[in-house]
Amino acid sequence: MFATRSDSPTVPARDSSSESWVKLRRLLGNWQGMTGLVLVILFFASALFAPVFATHDPNALDIPARLSGPSLAHFAGTDQLGRDTYSRVLYGGRVALQVAAIGISVSLAFGLLLGMLAGYGPRWLDNALLLFFDVIRSFPTIVMALAAVALLGPSLNLILAIVIVTTIPGYARLVRTSTMALKNTEFILAERALGAGFGRILWRHITPNVIGPMFILAAMDVPVVVTVEAGLSFLGLGVLPPTASWGSILNEGYLLIRETPWPIIAGGIPLVLTTLGFTFLGEALRDIFDPRLGKGR
Amino acid sequence: MGNLVEIRDLNVSFSTARGSVRALRDVSFDVPRGRIVGIVGESGSGKSTVIWAMTQLLAENGRVEGGEIRFEDRDILKYDADSLRAFRGAQASIVFQDPMTSQIPVKSYLQQMLDIAYRNRDQSRAEKTEHAIAMMRRVGIPDPEQRIRQFPHQFSGGMRQRTGIAMALLMHPQLLIADEPTTALDVTMEAQVIHLLRELQREFQTTMMVVSHNLGLVAELCDEIVVMYAGEVVERGDIGTVFASPAHPYTRALIDCDPARVLERSRYLPTIPGELPDLRRPPDGCVFVARCPHALARCHSERPRDHAAGEGQSVRCHLFDPTAPQATGMSLPHGQTAATPNRAVESVDAPVLISVRDLHVSYQASGGPRALLPGQKRPSIDVLVDVSLDLRRGETLGLVGESGSGKTTLGRSILGLVPAKSGSVRFEGRELTALGEHAFRPLRQNMAMMFQDPIGSLSPRQTVRSLILEPFDVHRPDAGDRDALAERLADMVNLPRELLSRYPHQLSGGQARRVGVARALALEPQLIIADEPTAGLDVSVQGDVLNLMRALQIERGLTYLIISHNLPVVRHISDRLAIMYLGRIIEQGDCEAIFHHPAHPYTEALVNGIPRPDPTQRRQLVSIEGDVPSVARRPAGCEFHARCRYATDLCRAESPAERPLSDGRTVRCHYPLID
Amino acid sequence: MWSYFCKRLGLSVVIVLCALLALFLLLHLIPGDPVKIALGTRATPEAIARYAEKMHVHEPIYYQFWIYFTQVLSGDLGADVFSNRSVTTIVLEALPSTLILAAVSLFWAALIGIPLGCLSAVRPNSWFDRLTGVLSVATIAIPSFLVSIWSLLVFAVMLKWLPVIGAGDPGDFWDQVSHLILPAFAVGLGWVGYLARMVRASMLEVMNENYIRAARAFGLRERTIVFRYALKVAILPTITLIGIGFSGLLSGTVFAEIIFTRPGVGKLIYDMVMNRNFPVVQGAVLVTTAVYVLITLCADLVVAWLDPRVRDSL
Repeated sequence: MFATRSDSPTVPARDSSSESWVKLRRLLGNWQGMTGLVLVILFFASALFAPVFATHDPNALDIPARLSGPSLAHFAGTDQLGRDTYSRVLYGGRVALQVAAIGISVSLAFGLLLGMLAGYGPRWLDNALLLFFDVIRSFPTIVMALAAVALLGPSLNLILAIVIVTTIPGYARLVRTSTMALKNTEFILAERALGAGFGRILWRHITPNVIGPMFILAAMDVPVVVTVEAGLSFLGLGVLPPTASWGSILNEGYLLIRETPWPIIAGGIPLVLTTLGFTFLGEALRDIFDPRLGKGR
Repeated sequence: MGNLVEIRDLNVSFSTARGSVRALRDVSFDVPRGRIVGIVGESGSGKSTVIWAMTQLLAENGRVEGGEIRFEDRDILKYDADSLRAFRGAQASIVFQDPMTSQIPVKSYLQQMLDIAYRNRDQSRAEKTEHAIAMMRRVGIPDPEQRIRQFPHQFSGGMRQRTGIAMALLMHPQLLIADEPTTALDVTMEAQVIHLLRELQREFQTTMMVVSHNLGLVAELCDEIVVMYAGEVVERGDIGTVFASPAHPYTRALIDCDPARVLERSRYLPTIPGELPDLRRPPDGCVFVARCPHALARCHSERPRDHAAGEGQSVRCHLFDPTAPQATGMSLPHGQTAATPNRAVESVDAPVLISVRDLHVSYQASGGPRALLPGQKRPSIDVLVDVSLDLRRGETLGLVGESGSGKTTLGRSILGLVPAKSGSVRFEGRELTALGEHAFRPLRQNMAMMFQDPIGSLSPRQTVRSLILEPFDVHRPDAGDRDALAERLADMVNLPRELLSRYPHQLSGGQARRVGVARALALEPQLIIADEPTAGLDVSVQGDVLNLMRALQIERGLTYLIISHNLPVVRHISDRLAIMYLGRIIEQGDCEAIFHHPAHPYTEALVNGIPRPDPTQRRQLVSIEGDVPSVARRPAGCEFHARCRYATDLCRAESPAERPLSDGRTVRCHYPLID
Repeated sequence: MWSYFCKRLGLSVVIVLCALLALFLLLHLIPGDPVKIALGTRATPEAIARYAEKMHVHEPIYYQFWIYFTQVLSGDLGADVFSNRSVTTIVLEALPSTLILAAVSLFWAALIGIPLGCLSAVRPNSWFDRLTGVLSVATIAIPSFLVSIWSLLVFAVMLKWLPVIGAGDPGDFWDQVSHLILPAFAVGLGWVGYLARMVRASMLEVMNENYIRAARAFGLRERTIVFRYALKVAILPTITLIGIGFSGLLSGTVFAEIIFTRPGVGKLIYDMVMNRNFPVVQGAVLVTTAVYVLITLCADLVVAWLDPRVRDSL
């Protein structure tokens, strides 16, 4: 039965271009969204143009200048081998970007596919996939990564694999829930009554409706992925030396904690700014485009 | 006596992302003590905003811009938080539209009622409980001592609404406000609730305000009426006077549009052309001017004032300005009179298009953990039982039933969207139930479906153009010039061509429904199954859609299966009716015969349950008690026996077979009301 | 309710079994000799022989799994490669310290986060709400291992207020408490923000429900409406979240234990990974997963029991 609530009127939009314009203006007008956008752009720019911004070769040794504090020559000081921490941080951003970009795109693709299969496919497939997602989620991420590293040895590819496997369930579940909700809506029934095929329904009518929330979730997942990479590298289980990564810079700094605080500070700040940036941006996007998207995972 | 509530020049605005909406403008009316005042209007009229402003419970973005609301000569709008709390619930209380969402799911009714009664400090907890139980009993909850300890989800819809009334009356308020009290209920429950409200109002000497879009409800229940349109009160007065001689052109059109008012069946329903004005920029002149058949020049530029019309009747219209020379209002003829064309096809002799025989549909219930074990059969719930019907080419069959009757399932299973358990569905003699989706697909060109929700049944990320062209993409990809096709379809359903580039959420309900009709008719099918074609539409738009469907039927010889809970609407457009109850067709035959002389007691209750927009014909009797049972717990014997006043032992023991009557109808009853 | 309980319990068992299978297969799917992979290069020949005999490595793989499965079921998680101590004993020794850290972290986070979320939701868009919002996002965004390192730097190394490493003297309660403060701060900080936001969001959602408007229309006191109506509904998703989020908390404790050199399951796993002592890693991961699954199960059951709709429909 239709119960219309007429107490809070909504004005139907008369054209769609002004609608997206209103949303963009809301994003830029919101200081959190603006801060997030600036930080995210900074992250991409510093990683992509690291060779331009760097003042030193990140792996060049300068033993006489080891463990120096910030100066004009070394903006963020040097480590125990005299390498320039500022330049190493810039190059470390490239590793973070690499893991986040590759990991999340692969995981998005798989999540979309598996989620739609679970949501639209037969019941047994749904149950099997759900169990699979539950099992993966039941492995505490870091503990699982440790077990894998114990057997396979540290590498960047392993980090990528861990990131992909652990983030797929999040996307797949989101897609599954929306697909299941959509499956029983009248417009999908209407498509079936019209004789539209399986592929047409999934691609033309379900995908456009689930893809938006996925991108918002992806933005909010970047901090998680970057943290996993930094964390594993911090434990010495990620990228191999001498490649610079925020995690390995922090690890070296941790071992020198009584001698100099600078590597810890310099390695941590970009990590915090990146996670903060993506979180702010993701939240702002969610508030504007999809206020009802899950608040937690 | 005097007035309990006096509303003067009330103005309310809502700020939205797209500008400020002036939802109420200079609303003034009185609520006399001990009377029932009905506030009537279509969606967007601001009728609910009045009561939320009164209780200071406007949505966050709403603001009272001016005016006063005097309750016992004190302005409610100036109340501080404490007096407001004392006012709400104790002096004025509300019965909500939807009992499913307005009762907190995690508290039992007893807890909820004790929370309301916290003010009675002199009462002990036991006394408060006693009082709450007495009130539950008064509103007709059986076994209230036990049931009051239950939670909302354990009550049926009708019981929930009764309990909602009990909660509202718990503190014996002077003013009872009912916000669409029956909109969420089925027809038979609606009649019961109207009856209960009237009884309680008399017993408690309460003053009432009833907000509704349903003229029938207001005519049945109220003493006075306030008609609202686009945020203004356009007419108010005594219920009898207003219904007998509506003064404002809008009131008149609204009454004309109500399908339940028309006693003689007419193929075309009156409508009000046009749309609501944009309330961000209300028109300078009269709010109704754009849709008014009698608009004068001054109506466009000058805002009308309230003028007296009949006895105790006031109308905001220039036609009634006594100083103007052309004050002709009193003698206006009624709006467009309904034309009654002949039947398009003599359907009795036409060949059978769809034939359903003994159709059985059941859903699997989700059983307990045992159901996960292999080899265990999960319990199933029968949704359709032994359904048989024939649909002849060119005729219109109305399928009527309350929620849970299986009418929607029947429509969907004919199209193979819901698998049948047993039985047969034949289309032009071809068996459909055994067809796989692939084999079914070509047939779908010949049978289209229109779904309930006008906007929700359109894929939200597609433009109107691609939506109405989609049938061609699926079945005839090489159909020729797509632009020409799209425009031809838009013209066919009178959809302005500039809407082709819009998305569904940018359309009004009526426009979206036209898109649905265009999609259904794109491939020129023979059969159209329309599920609640008028649901979610205002009365003034309903007729528009039905007239369009009727015109297209005559033009193309279409066959319609119209599924609806709304008997008065279906009756005007159907040749034959089939009445469903708990998954069975309990009566089927000629439309007028069934409507005037129902054979099954349930049909009789449905026909009597229609509230008629005529205050001179109020019904005294409520012919049917109780709620629709759940299909999961089917009563033994005749499924209707528990609610049937003619039921005998035979009915309780044995399910009646379908039997023909002398006039060609069939009925499933041991004791049909006519032979 | 009973059928729900059985279903949920069954699911938990299946998850633990899958974990078991995964840990077993991980070893056998990697090319090479499973024994060498499991025990690393530094294992003594005796240890290798012991392991090969115990796991029946020359039998077919399904039989090996069956052996492993029955051993785990009887509480035998294998033996340390170097010391030959029982893994079950080693893990059970480490577990209490980790559970205490996780519980204390979650407790202080809930104690601050839930009221913050409530207060924000009562006055949305006030300065208090905005401040809480920014702080919440900030605490969520800073990775917990970074909080550990920075707090170690500030409070232990620079200010020297609190001890740097270890879990404290087992006999001295206050010493143990002082060793718990920094790790618990680091692990719980993100959860303060997380819970505050979660509670705020579900409170705001509930406060928009029709039944809250109805409660206001019946003149109920605002206090009753917020705490006895809205919170009662809004707390349900939060409980589920705490249960599910325990995974994140366990990851947090891994870093805190390593950084503060505090004994616990996380530190144990890390050390054993570094030593290539796979049997201990295997056993500890299995126990961690089981603990996690058990806590999620409890949270779900509590929610089901608190919500009459769920209670009846199951």
